[in-house]
Amino acid sequence: MWQELTDIVVRSLLISGMATVLATSWGIPITMILTVKESKFRRALLDVANTLVAIPTVLIGLLLYLLFSRSGPLGFFGILYTPTSIALGEAILITPLIISLSASVLRETKTDIWEMAISIGATERQALVVMVTESLPKLLTAVLLGFNRAIGELGVALILGGNIKGLTRVMTTAIALEVSKGEFELALTLGGILLFVTFLVTVIVRKVGRDL
Amino acid sequence: MKNRWITIALIVILTVSVLFISIYQTRQYENVIRVTTATSLYATGLLDKLAEEFKRRYPEVSIHFIAVGSGEALRRAVRGDADMVLSHAPNLERQYLNDGVLKSGGIFAYNYLIIVGPSEDPANIAGMDPVRAMTAIYVAGEEGKAKFVSRADKSGTHARELMLWSLAGVNPLNKQWYLELGADMVQTLMVANEKGAYTLSDVSTYLKFSKRLGGLKTLIEKGDALLNVYSVYVVNSAKVPGVNEKLAEAFMKFILSEEGQKIIEGYGIVEFGRPLFNAANGDPKGELKNAWEDIAKLG
Repeated sequence: MWQELTDIVVRSLLISGMATVLATSWGIPITMILTVKESKFRRALLDVANTLVAIPTVLIGLLLYLLFSRSGPLGFFGILYTPTSIALGEAILITPLIISLSASVLRETKTDIWEMAISIGATERQALVVMVTESLPKLLTAVLLGFNRAIGELGVALILGGNIKGLTRVMTTAIALEVSKGEFELALTLGGILLFVTFLVTVIVRKVGRDL
Repeated sequence: MKNRWITIALIVILTVSVLFISIYQTRQYENVIRVTTATSLYATGLLDKLAEEFKRRYPEVSIHFIAVGSGEALRRAVRGDADMVLSHAPNLERQYLNDGVLKSGGIFAYNYLIIVGPSEDPANIAGMDPVRAMTAIYVAGEEGKAKFVSRADKSGTHARELMLWSLAGVNPLNKQWYLELGADMVQTLMVANEKGAYTLSDVSTYLKFSKRLGGLKTLIEKGDALLNVYSVYVVNSAKVPGVNEKLAEAFMKFILSEEGQKIIEGYGIVEFGRPLFNAANGDPKGELKNAWEDIAKLG
C-alpha cells in the first residue's frame, strides 16, 4: 500500500517534471522571440496562447490519443499508455500557460532593462541575456505554475496513460479511480497528498528562485 | 554570482535525470497484454487477482488494464490499442464481432444487475419482475411520483437499462423525471440517492458504496432481464495491426480455465460477505449464450 502510494507520488512528480522541462524548453524561447522581435503577429499569437490556456484537458487528451493510437499517424512510435505520452500531452497542455505568463514577465523587463542596455551600447544578444537573467525568478514562477497545472490535471493522464497500475497511474488518475470505486476517504487522502506535494515543490522552487 | 551558476547547474542535472528516468520507464514495454475493460469490473479488484495468478505461470508477462466504459473499451480495440477486451455489453460486442475486430471469445462470468430506489418505493416495484417494474416506474414518473436516473454513458449498464425500457415498451427519453447523467456508477448512485430516484446498478459498486446511500434500497435483484454477462475477447490481429494475440489468448484461456473460474467464483466473499460473480464454468447448458444472444439482438 505505502510502496504503491510512494510509487504513484514519485511517478506523478517525474511525469509532470518532464512535461514542465519540455514545455519550458520550447515555451520560453518562443516567448523570447515574441518579445524581442516586433511583429504584427505578436499580439495575435499571444491571444491564441491566452485562449489555449482554457483548453479542456480531455480535449488535448483525445486529440493526442487519436495521434498516438496504433492506427493514428504517430502510432508506430508505440508510446500510447506510457509515461512519456502523458508527459508529452501535459507539456502541450501547459505550453500556452507558460508562454502567456512569461510573456508578461519579459514584456515588463523589456521596458525596464532592454531599452537601457541597448542605449548604453549593448548588442541585442547581450541585452537579451541581461533581460532573461534579470527576470529568471519571475520566469521560474511561470514555469512553476505550469508544473502545478500539469500535476493537477486529469484528462490527459487518463486518456493517454490509461491509468495502468504500476506504469501510468498518477495521483489524479488514482483519485478518479478511488472515486469511481466509492472509496471517498482514500480519494480525499490522495487529494491531500497531491496538494501537500505540490506545496512542497512550490516552496522549494521559491527558495531556489531567491538564489538566482 | 558563483551561487547562481551552482543553482543553474543543479537544475540542469535534475532535469536531465528526470528525462532519463522517464524514458527508461517506457523501455519496460515488451511482453505486455493490453486489456481494455469495463470500469465496474476492474474496480472490484477481480482482474488484478486474476492477473496475479496468471503471472505465477508467466512471470515475464505484464498485464495492463485500461479501465474505461464498455463502449470505449471496444472502440479502443478497433484502433489497435488493446489486445484483449472485457465487456458486459452484448449488443455492442455483437457489432464488433460482426466487423471481425474481435476474434475468439467466451463468457467467463455473470451476475445480476439490481434496481435500487428510494426506500419509500413510490412506484411500488419491490420484488417485481424487472420489466414490469420499468413500466411501473414509467407510470409513476408520468404521475410525478417517481424519478429515474440514467448513466447515459454507453456503458454496459446503460445499454441494459435501455434494453429494459424497450422490453417494457415505453420510452422515457426527454421526460422531465428521467435524468440522463453521463456519469459513472458511483456518481449515478449518488445522484439517485440525493434525488430519491430509481436507478439500475451493478451489485459490486452498490455493495461497496451502500453505506453512503442511506436513502436507497435494493428493490429488485432477480429476473432474467437483469442477467449481466461478462465476456472476454481477443482482438483479431488479422484485422487490427499490432495485436499481441498469442499472449492475449493465453490469458483468455487462463480466465476460462478451471483455475481461473475458481478464482472468479470465490471472489468478494472476504470483502462483501458474498461472492460478486458467478463463474460461467463453460456454460454447459448454453443458457448464458442464449441470454447473450437475446440481449445482443435488442441492441
